[in-house]
Amino acid sequence: MTPITRDRPFLLLVALLVMLSVAMPLLSGTGLAPSRYLTNAIGQLAAFAVLALSLDLIWGYLGILSLGHGLFFAIGGYVVAMYLLKHSFVVTGTVPDFLQFMGWKEFPFYWAGFEFFPYAFGVAVAVTLLISGVFGYVSFRSRVGGVYFAIITQALVYVAMLLMFRNDTGFGGNNGMTGFSVILGWPMGTSGMITALAVASLVTLALVLVGCRWLVGSRFGALMLATRDDETRLRTLGYETLRLKLIVWCLSALLAMLAGMLYVPQVGIINPRVLSPELSLEIAVWVAIGGRGHLVGAVIGALLVNALKFWLSSAAPDVWPFILSGLIVLVVLVFPNGLMDLAKFRLARPMGPKRMETKRMARGIGEARS
Amino acid sequence: MTFRHLPTFLAGLLVSAVLATPGAAAALDRAAVVAGLCGNAGQMFEAAAALTATAATGSDEDRAWALALPRALIEKTLACDAAGAVLGNGRLDAVSRVVREPAPDARAPVLSLKNRAVFEQADAALALRSTPDAGARAAALRMLERRPATIPEGLLDAAAARESDPALKAQIEGLAQTAALNASDPTARLRAIGRIAENPSRRALAQMAELTRDPAYATNADFRAAIDAATRRIERGIAIGDVLAALYNGLSFASILFMAAIGLAIIFGLMGVINLAQGELIMIGAYVTWMVQQGLRAVAPALLDWYLILAIPVAFVVTAAIGIALEALLLRHLYKRPLMSLLATWAVSLFLVNLVRVVFGTQNMQFETPFYVSGGVPVIGDFIFTWNRMFAIAFAVVTLALTWAIVRKTPLGLNIRAVTQNRDMAACIGIPTRSVDRMAFGLGSGLAGLAGLALSPIYSVNPQMGQNFIIDSFMVVVLGGVGTIAGTVVAALGIGQINVLIEPLWGAVAAKVIVLLMIIAFLQWRPEGLFAVKGRRK
Repeated sequence: MTPITRDRPFLLLVALLVMLSVAMPLLSGTGLAPSRYLTNAIGQLAAFAVLALSLDLIWGYLGILSLGHGLFFAIGGYVVAMYLLKHSFVVTGTVPDFLQFMGWKEFPFYWAGFEFFPYAFGVAVAVTLLISGVFGYVSFRSRVGGVYFAIITQALVYVAMLLMFRNDTGFGGNNGMTGFSVILGWPMGTSGMITALAVASLVTLALVLVGCRWLVGSRFGALMLATRDDETRLRTLGYETLRLKLIVWCLSALLAMLAGMLYVPQVGIINPRVLSPELSLEIAVWVAIGGRGHLVGAVIGALLVNALKFWLSSAAPDVWPFILSGLIVLVVLVFPNGLMDLAKFRLARPMGPKRMETKRMARGIGEARS
Repeated sequence: MTFRHLPTFLAGLLVSAVLATPGAAAALDRAAVVAGLCGNAGQMFEAAAALTATAATGSDEDRAWALALPRALIEKTLACDAAGAVLGNGRLDAVSRVVREPAPDARAPVLSLKNRAVFEQADAALALRSTPDAGARAAALRMLERRPATIPEGLLDAAAARESDPALKAQIEGLAQTAALNASDPTARLRAIGRIAENPSRRALAQMAELTRDPAYATNADFRAAIDAATRRIERGIAIGDVLAALYNGLSFASILFMAAIGLAIIFGLMGVINLAQGELIMIGAYVTWMVQQGLRAVAPALLDWYLILAIPVAFVVTAAIGIALEALLLRHLYKRPLMSLLATWAVSLFLVNLVRVVFGTQNMQFETPFYVSGGVPVIGDFIFTWNRMFAIAFAVVTLALTWAIVRKTPLGLNIRAVTQNRDMAACIGIPTRSVDRMAFGLGSGLAGLAGLALSPIYSVNPQMGQNFIIDSFMVVVLGGVGTIAGTVVAALGIGQINVLIEPLWGAVAAKVIVLLMIIAFLQWRPEGLFAVKGRRK
């Protein structure tokens, strides 16, 4: 694998993210500042990019496709929504809609303490680790993998969606949760807060990107690739892959949860729709289009597809599903490594000796059994 | 003839037999009745009772003769004189129905308050039996309902047996029960209670609960024992009915699941590909069925009732063609990359859902209900053996038999099994594995189309309908293991039944959660599914 210092696409992307996150607060108030809508869109895209990275880590580098990553995204989203509602209630006294809807006088007992952000964050981490840990352990231990694993995770997120659609669970039911007014003591919805949240998402994305790049470049990353390409051989050599898969799986779940925590304050609502199997499948589509097994590809895929979706679902909502399905078929049939197949033609030539390596990598992924 | 209606039917037969035999019923003394009508209050009361009894047990001629009398009395168009009485404006003698002038001193008898009610009842009883107009019979029934306790035994049973209007017939039977329960004769009441307990339903339970408030419940030990026994019997019947209904619904759900999953399982066993568009093939099957129905409506309305049967080959061929096209254009390139095939088939499902949405809209499609899938047989309690679910079950059984025959008895099936067990070896001995794949994919897709046809009389048909079955049918494949028909059958039955059995206890959501947890737990024990072919673990 290319050393970090010479991985040009990666360095370019990180530099771009850093520049953007420095420029946005500096420009705010001046005429050059992006509009509120654009700032908000950038922040949401960054959150989606983190989500794409979380899936790429497990699918691109470990060969395990999860069609249920929306579950962990939703855990982060729901916990942060609970924090925001409770916090807003403590500061302003606003009673959340869903409590009034259900005719409840007070918050259910398990909402206690959610006005403290560190506690809420801790709960999110604990719940994510618990669910991903238990589910990952029982699946990997019995060597459930491949397509089996994918459709069981899909069933998992589907069941979670049905559960959250119920109104008596105390999590907002089918209307979800909305009406957040205060975050960490500051009012929400101001231009400053929108910029701050967008910058926070961009910085998180940059940090996650660097962290993942470090991980996949390390010895641990080499083991991940080995597991992906030939798990049986690795096990025959005496390496227990269960622990490795479990660690990466839980880490990936945590990143998805983080993305959910960034996403919800920016859209201002969460409802069980984020748990629909379609959203979880879409994450895999972003990664596939960007190029799985490439961190930069996953980020670009998430940004491109979602930017296209933002634009088209308002401009031509009926056409969007057809374009998306066309894109998927195109990527699957013609560009098995997504946009990275396009980039290869442009980037490989001037780099001379590295060409061989890129080629080998691309082939390795193309022929991997997953 | 239904089980529930059997006693009434027998009673009706009996009554008809009695009525059909001349002389079996005591002939009415017409002159005496007319004399009673013109007599004092006590004689009038007896005449009314005789008229009501005629309505219940008299001959057809007597009823036709008596029909006009109570009404004439109530409307004061009966003129009594020394020679008897004259009816209405037609100047007919009340007894002989010959035209004659009433005597000049003729008077209209005056009804006491008590007798008015009795004659109204007699009028209604006669009208219920003898009026040809269904509306008038319904009005008469409403009149009788006011005083169920005084309706003579047998009247309503006889009326129900002769009634041609099914809705009115059901109403008459309902009133017959109520009347019998409120009868003044204690043994008749006990008989009625026993009869009600034979057909347990929630309504019967409510009737029993009503009777516990009757004064006789506190005073009469026999009555109380009969009520308690009947209540227990009805409750047991309802419980049995609920269990049977749940099993029956589970069986029909499992049938649909089986048809959706068997195709998935064959394809998965053969190629390691899960077709995420299987739900949409089900949907297409249902839409093709709808289109066949519309086509028949336009071209051959006489055959409209048979559209479900005529659509079978069409639905199969259309969805099988879509499946074969899918395999040839898309999946052929993805055998080495099964996870990518998930995305590709999802893209197809997205495309198909939105195509159907654009072409047909999002509303539910309207289906005709042919006679062979409408209605059902009430068995016990709330359990109705409905023909639409039976259609799905029978359809699945036939599909199962045919699939088994294809896989076990045909050259194609032999090839499918060979390629499933060892693709490379099968290719070495000259089996055209690629065309086997294609045919199997067509078979699996066609079975999904048949599932869509079978569920169209039960579930609503719209572009999103595939989603409702697809995840459950994936779980059937996971649980059943790949490529075995037996595994798919057992898993579909298990998941279908568990879903439907848990649903009434903890709700539909809990049922799904529990099923999923059970599958995950089960995979700990047998990761390859229920009926996995023994071999090397990959």
